[in-house]
This record gives sequence, structure tokens and C-alpha cells, in this order.
Amino acid sequence: MNDSAGKIKLPTTILMIVAGVFMILPFLWMISTSFQSPSEVFSKWLPSKLDWSSHERIWTGSYNFVPYYLNSVKISVISTIGAVFLSALAAYGFARIEFKGRDAMFLVYLSMMMIPPQVIFVPKFIMFNWMHIYNTHWALILPGMFSIFGVFMLRQFFMSVPKEITESAFLDGAGHFKIFFRLVLPLAKPALATFAIIDFSWHWNDYENALVFLTSPELYTIPLGLQNFILENNVDYNGMMAASSAAIIPMILIFLIGQKYIIQGISSSAVKG
Amino acid sequence: MKRRSWIQKQGWIGYAFIMPNMLGILLFFIIPALFSFGLMFTDYQFANPNVSFTGLDNIERLFQDEQFYSAVRHTGIFLLSVPISLVIAFIVALVLNRSVYLKGLLRGMFFLPYISSGVAVAFVWMLLFQPSHGPINEVLRWIGIATPPGWFADSDTAMYAIDVVQIWFMLGYNMIIYLAALQEISAEQLEAARIDGASARTVTWKIVWPLVSPTTFLLLITGLIMTMKSFSLIQAITQGGPSGSTTILSLFVYKTAFSYYEMGYASAISWFLFAVILIITIIQWIGQKRWVHY
Amino acid sequence: MNKKKWFTTALSFVIATVLLAGCGDNKDAQGNDPQASAGKAVKLKLWGAVPVEAGPQAVVDAWNEANPDIEVEYIRYVNDDAGNLKLDTALMTGQDADLYINYTLTRLQKRVDAGVALDLASTGYDIDAQMGPDAAQWKINDKYYGLPTKKNMAFIWLNKKMLDEAGLPVPALDWTWSDLKEYAAKLKKDNVYGLLQHEASFTATIDGTIAGLGVTKADGTSNFDNDLWKQQFTMLHDMMFVDKSTPEYGEQLTSKMPVDTMFLKGEAAMLSAGEFIFRNANNLTEFPHDFQIAFATIPQVTADQKDYKYSGGLGDVLSVNAKSKNQEAAWKFAQWYADGGMLPMASGGRIPSSKSVDNKQAMDLLLKGVEDKYDVDSMNKVVFGQFESFQLSVPQQVLDARKEEYEKYFLNKQDIDATLASMAKRHNDLIKN
Repeated sequence: MNDSAGKIKLPTTILMIVAGVFMILPFLWMISTSFQSPSEVFSKWLPSKLDWSSHERIWTGSYNFVPYYLNSVKISVISTIGAVFLSALAAYGFARIEFKGRDAMFLVYLSMMMIPPQVIFVPKFIMFNWMHIYNTHWALILPGMFSIFGVFMLRQFFMSVPKEITESAFLDGAGHFKIFFRLVLPLAKPALATFAIIDFSWHWNDYENALVFLTSPELYTIPLGLQNFILENNVDYNGMMAASSAAIIPMILIFLIGQKYIIQGISSSAVKG
Repeated sequence: MKRRSWIQKQGWIGYAFIMPNMLGILLFFIIPALFSFGLMFTDYQFANPNVSFTGLDNIERLFQDEQFYSAVRHTGIFLLSVPISLVIAFIVALVLNRSVYLKGLLRGMFFLPYISSGVAVAFVWMLLFQPSHGPINEVLRWIGIATPPGWFADSDTAMYAIDVVQIWFMLGYNMIIYLAALQEISAEQLEAARIDGASARTVTWKIVWPLVSPTTFLLLITGLIMTMKSFSLIQAITQGGPSGSTTILSLFVYKTAFSYYEMGYASAISWFLFAVILIITIIQWIGQKRWVHY
Repeated sequence: MNKKKWFTTALSFVIATVLLAGCGDNKDAQGNDPQASAGKAVKLKLWGAVPVEAGPQAVVDAWNEANPDIEVEYIRYVNDDAGNLKLDTALMTGQDADLYINYTLTRLQKRVDAGVALDLASTGYDIDAQMGPDAAQWKINDKYYGLPTKKNMAFIWLNKKMLDEAGLPVPALDWTWSDLKEYAAKLKKDNVYGLLQHEASFTATIDGTIAGLGVTKADGTSNFDNDLWKQQFTMLHDMMFVDKSTPEYGEQLTSKMPVDTMFLKGEAAMLSAGEFIFRNANNLTEFPHDFQIAFATIPQVTADQKDYKYSGGLGDVLSVNAKSKNQEAAWKFAQWYADGGMLPMASGGRIPSSKSVDNKQAMDLLLKGVEDKYDVDSMNKVVFGQFESFQLSVPQQVLDARKEEYEKYFLNKQDIDATLASMAKRHNDLIKN
């Protein structure tokens, strides 16, 4: 495989770049639109001249995105940290400890993923109102820290950590907490980083919850800010595309940081064998 | 024997690991879900204080509702995107794991659709698929297809065009989780197979594919669930049209709940959706023993 | 060492979470609780769908300047399903929305049912006298639950230059769809459509027709299979596929055509749309155009059609939340808004309906500096004329079902008779439910 891999590496790269460009085509269009003037929207691929006004608009005046950014960062960071930690903990319980009713409980967990969010929003609203967290960031952060998907995903990964490793630790007298923190978590870095990236992107892009549970403009997040560009009877496409382009940048940063850990995993799992 | 007793003695610690998460799930998922289960038997209209118990009326109405049946059909077509995206993602992940230059850049390109807020970008697809002068049909005409499909302008093809967008969107998600799974396969396992003279294809499908089967299982289940529940892409692109041809079940729930405010009926549809996904999941859960290797 | 590092990492996660959460909490508490600072000034929240910079900010600023004891904050919601849901949720809490503007009768009806719209009878404000006869279309159970504050307008915008070139006069007020079809065919050129329709006006004629005919027949069944609809649909279909004087339905659907931009760029001779086009039409820097704009009514289907009604009447219905703790202050603002406070929004096409407002003043705001871009005669007759109007009160489900069926017809998946039959059938099914 090594020999053939060397020979086909260059053509494969070229092929994948072509495919990759296709993947990001809508983004290229988006960026191009953000530099067009209002009267030429969607009529051509490239702007006839670079019009920076849409980009200026989103950082100044009535479309100021700075507070939306700060709110989004705060909510996404706290929720993601909480979700990664709490999910990993539960996932270890489901993957590595046997106890009564474990599998049944896990199925209940999974089944809760299947409820369409639209129908649990009324009871959630009633509950949040009663807890006095309606129209506060807590209404997004608290539920955001509990991820069923995270438990499921990390459980799958913990289960593929070789049993011999954890079992030999038992024999050395280590408790489950010790094994979890010192053995399993380091081994699962790629999985944790992956989940963190995905979970962060969900919080970052969460529109429905923010829409319903936040009403004060000073609490708004980026997805709500984007609604400013939907005017009464038409859409300010230039502004929307400019703001959307800017909204992706933090996500790309998170991905680049997280990716380092995913690759790092290669060396750590090589050590374990 | 000795190991078993140890486990039983330590049983409580399992609960200790799960408890913090369990409390949140109970509060934010299970209790609201039970509430919505109750709503199914009422005529509750959102915000309207007059509620009455209507028994099984909503469920009866569901099975007489033609819109419901067509939503089920559209959902079926929508779900095709799950396995297709999965297989493409596996291949892309394999390639991006080893045999290319510029790995970081390429991974980023494939992952970008998933981490961007789909909504603003998604409707660019409407323009890409535009029937008369959109780039996709221009390419099709260029390669000799005289009358390319109308895509979103045609109720027969709109759902398939949505599938393309959904595959595009989910590819990065599937790919990155596969990539993480591939990191756990040790070089020795592959090396051993190669020494035995296995071809690259054999290594891929006979060794790597079984090794990542827990991940495939995860992606299949979560993919089906997430696809079943997702509607924001469709809402952004077609709003369920033209002539209702892209109204899938979850969008039907969304409209019933948020546009018509019929929460009781929306709950009934949701619990039907719930039952379907649950059955599919249980079948997969039982079936996993045949092909998932932990 | 690796173990230790991981333990510290996990621990710092927890600490960071607690800290971040803690400081976040303080911020929320300051930003949120309006009751905390009560005693000094009453704080009101006004919800509307007009973007902040298109007038509301100026309105609210003017009020706050003059009334330091009642502070009003404008919260903008998008008038779609999600936006209305957000408003309805906030209304239930009683403190996050004190005043709000309704845009359709069906939404107002839901809010009346939910008990969040104050019956305005107790205020003593004579809405009929103040707002004119069209106001009564907004009565629910014979009561007013909101102030209809502005004049709604919808008409055909005409490129006068193209009309002149084709030797066509500005159409008469009682023109019909066959006239329109003829006009469009004559006005069409390469890269110029005869007629464009804004989504919001697409059903203006059939709505005006059914408003006259009655949504249901005498026996309570659907009237959606009436012959006038058939004629209008067929003509429009011909315009799309035979005359090619208006975009094919699928084409318009998928290219996200900015119809106002196209009209102002001279890519269409006629545009069916509401008064909201004024905002861009008056903006000569971004949308320069060298032609005069003339106006025509939205045509009726046939010349002998009886009881045809015109899209229009009044709109922007301002309600007070019946759960608000500051209803008196809210009403005070509402009255001020309707009787002239809203004038800064006139430049965007919102002409106040209250007789306390000098119409001349509103029109000056609307047309300041661009008077020569409009054909005065047709503008006076159409834009400022009096027509018999209506407010549609058909449930959203029915409208959606109707749309799904006529889309099948315009996408050539279903013929006209089957379309009308299934429209009526689905309407009947929903009446039964």
C-alpha cells in the first residue's frame, strides 16, 4: 500500500481539491455576493467592483454585530465545555461500568433524541418562565450542557478502547474515576475534540432556541442578528452574506484548533499498543 | 466469578457517573416529552387557554390526513441521503487520513458546510440549481443533456435536489467522526494485514470497515434521527414547496405547531415520528450484533 | 505526568465553567429585569415588524424625548411563522411585550383568543370616526382589539416611458385582466418582462374576488371552485407559457428574483406590488432610474364582475397586551402613535390613517425631492384614491392548501379543473375539522 500510495498521492490530491472546491462553492458565492452592490445581487458570479459597504455596515451603525458575537461566544463556550465534560462522564458509565438497568436506561436516552424539538418547546417555555430563566442566556446554556448525542458518540468510542487496558488498571487497584480521568480521557482525545467541534457548531448556529427564548435585543446571538437582514418585503442579501461570512470565521478557528487534537490522537493510540 | 462480584459491589458508581447528565436529560427532555405526550389527546392551540380533552381524535385525524401520507413519502426520499452520505464520507475520510497532501486544508473544505449555519448558505443552492441559467444545469447542457431537470422548480425533482444538499451538508459531519475513528486503528493492525499480502481494497473493506463498525452504527442511527428531525435546510430553501413536494414530516410538524398553532395535532404527528424512529433504531440495535464489532 | 496534566485540565474545565457562568449571570440580571428599576420611569416594549432603521427608531426616540416618565423600547420581529411565535411567547409572559403591531386579521384573531389583546372599548377613543369606515374590517366579535394605524395600498406600478413607447395610455381604473394581459404582451421585449408580480401581491386579484363572492357558498361549502378564479388563473398561465410576458412560475420561484430591483432597472414594464416599493423607488442613489412611474389598480377579472374588492384598507394594527402591567401607559403611547407619532415612517410608504394627521404632511415626507419621478395624475387617482377594500380572514391552513394546488397548475402538473376541484375539496375538509 505504501508503494502505490506514493504514486497516486498527487493525482488523489488534485481530485480531492476539485471535489473540495465543489463543497465550498456556495461559500465562494456567498463571499462574492457580500462584495456586490445591491442592484447586482445574484446576477453575476463576481462583483463588478469590490463594494465594502456591506462589510462596514455589519460592524457599525444599526447592524452592529459585536454584541451578538460576544453573546454567541459566551453561550457556545460554556455550553460546549459543560456538554463535553458531562457527556464523557455519562458515556464512561454506559460503556465501562455494568449496573442494573444500564441498557434500558441507555435506550431511554436514545429515544429522547427522537422527539422533534418543536413539540417540547411549549413545556420548556413554561418551565423556563417558572425558573425565571426565560429571556436570559441560561435558557440556552443550561439545556445546552446536556447532550444525548455526546453520550452516545463518546460511548461508542470508549467501547473501542481495548478492555485489557482498563482491566489491568483495575487489578492495580485504580478506581473508576481514576481510570476515567487518567486513562480513558487521554486516549479519547480525538473523539472528545470531534464532539467538541460538532457541539460548538450546534450552539453557534442555534437559531430556534435563541429565537423563542431570547427577546431582549441586547441578549441576541448571531443567528438572531442575521434576521435583521430580512426586511419587511424583501431580503438584504448583501448584508446577510457579509454577516454570514463573518460568522463562519470563529467556527473555522475552532475547527483548526480541534483538528490538531484529532491528529495528535494518532501518536497517542500508537503508544497504547 | 470474582470479577462479577466486584462489578456488583461497584454498581452504584455507574449511577454516579451518569447522574449529573441524567438530571439534565430528565429536566430538559423527558419531562417536556411527557407533557407533549399528554397534549396529543387534547385540542390545545398554542397560547389559547381553552383546552379540552379530545381523546384519540388527533390520531384518527392523522391517519385520514393526505398531507400526512405525502409527508411520509417525502421523508422516505429524504432518508436516502443518510446511507449515501455515509459511504461517501467513509471513502473521503480514508483518503484524507493518509494518501493526500494538504490534509488540513482538504478536511476543512469538506467540513465547512456542516459547521456553517446552513441557512444563509443553503439557499445559494436554489441559485446553483436554477433551471434556466443556474450553473448545474449549464454544465448538464454542456455535456449534452438537452433538457436537464427543473430541480427546485419541479415538484417531481425538488425532493431529490434537497437530498443532494443534505448529502453535501452531512458529509463533513460523517467524515470528521470517521476520521476520529480511524485514529484509533493502530498502524500495527494494518501492517500485519499488508505483510500477509492483502490488497488495499481488501484491507479497506475486510479490516478497516469492520474496525470502524461501531462508528458506522453511531452515524447510521444519529444520521437517521437527525435527518428525520431536521427541517431548517428545507425551510430555508423551499419552505416545503413547490406545491408541498418537499414537506417532510418534521416540516409538517413545524408548520402545524408554529404556523397553525395546533400543538395537540403536532404532538400526535411527533409521537408517530417518534415511534417510527424508535422502531428503526431498535431493529438496528438488535441487528448490530451481526455487523458491529466492539 | 500525563495523568496529572489531564486531571488538571478536567478540573480547570469545571472551574472555568463555574466562573464563566457566574459572570454571565450578573450580566443577565442587569440587562433583563425591567421591574428592578421601576419607580422612576415606566418601561414599555413595543413589538413591530418594520426594521428599526426604517422609521421605528425615530418614532421611539421622539416619544422618549417628550415623555421621560414612559420609556418605550422597540423590538423588531420578523413577520413570519417563527417571528410571530416569538412574539406570542413573549406576550404570554406579560412583561416582555406591552404593545405590538398585527399585520393580518388571522394573527390578531389568535391573540384575541389567547387573551393578550386588550378590548379598546374602555378607552373611549372613537376608532370609527378617527380611522374611517375601513377600520371596521378589523373588528373581531364586533369589538376593536387594535388600532388600524396606516393605509394599506397595493397596485400595479407602471414604467411610463415604456408605456409611451408602446403607445399605450395609463389604464383606466376599472381595467381587467384581459387588458393587463394585452398590455403585458405589447410591452414585452428581449430581456424585459411585460409584468412582474411581487409574492405579496400574487393573489391580490383572486383574494379581492373571493372577498366579494364570499369565501363559502350559501350552503357553507367552499367557493374556491368559482369561475372567476378559473378565468384569472388561465389568463395568468397563458401569460407565462403562451405570451411569455411574465416569468414562468418555477423560474420566479427559483431565481429569488428581486422584483423591485428589476422593475427599477427597467427589466420589467409593470410590477404588481404594495406601497413598500416606494422606499427603493425613492432611493435614486442605489436604484437610479430615468423613467416616471405611473400607477394602475390591480385589475378585476372581468368587466361585468360584481363586488370586486381592492387590496388595501387599513393595516398595522396596534394592540395593547391585556397581560401587561402598564396598560394605561401603553394606551397613551398607542394613541399618540396613531394620531401622528408614526409620521417618521411615512417616508417608507406608511401613510397614517388617523384623521388627526394632515395627509399633505405625510405625502410630503413620502415624495420629498422625487416628485418628478411620478405621474401625478394616476398617482392621485390610484394611490390616494378611495376603493372598496377588504381584509382577508381565511385560516393559514386554507391559504397554504390553496397555494399548493395552484402551484401544481402553474408548474403544469395538474390542469385547471382538477386544480379548482382539489382546492375546493381541501378547503371543505378543513372547514369540517
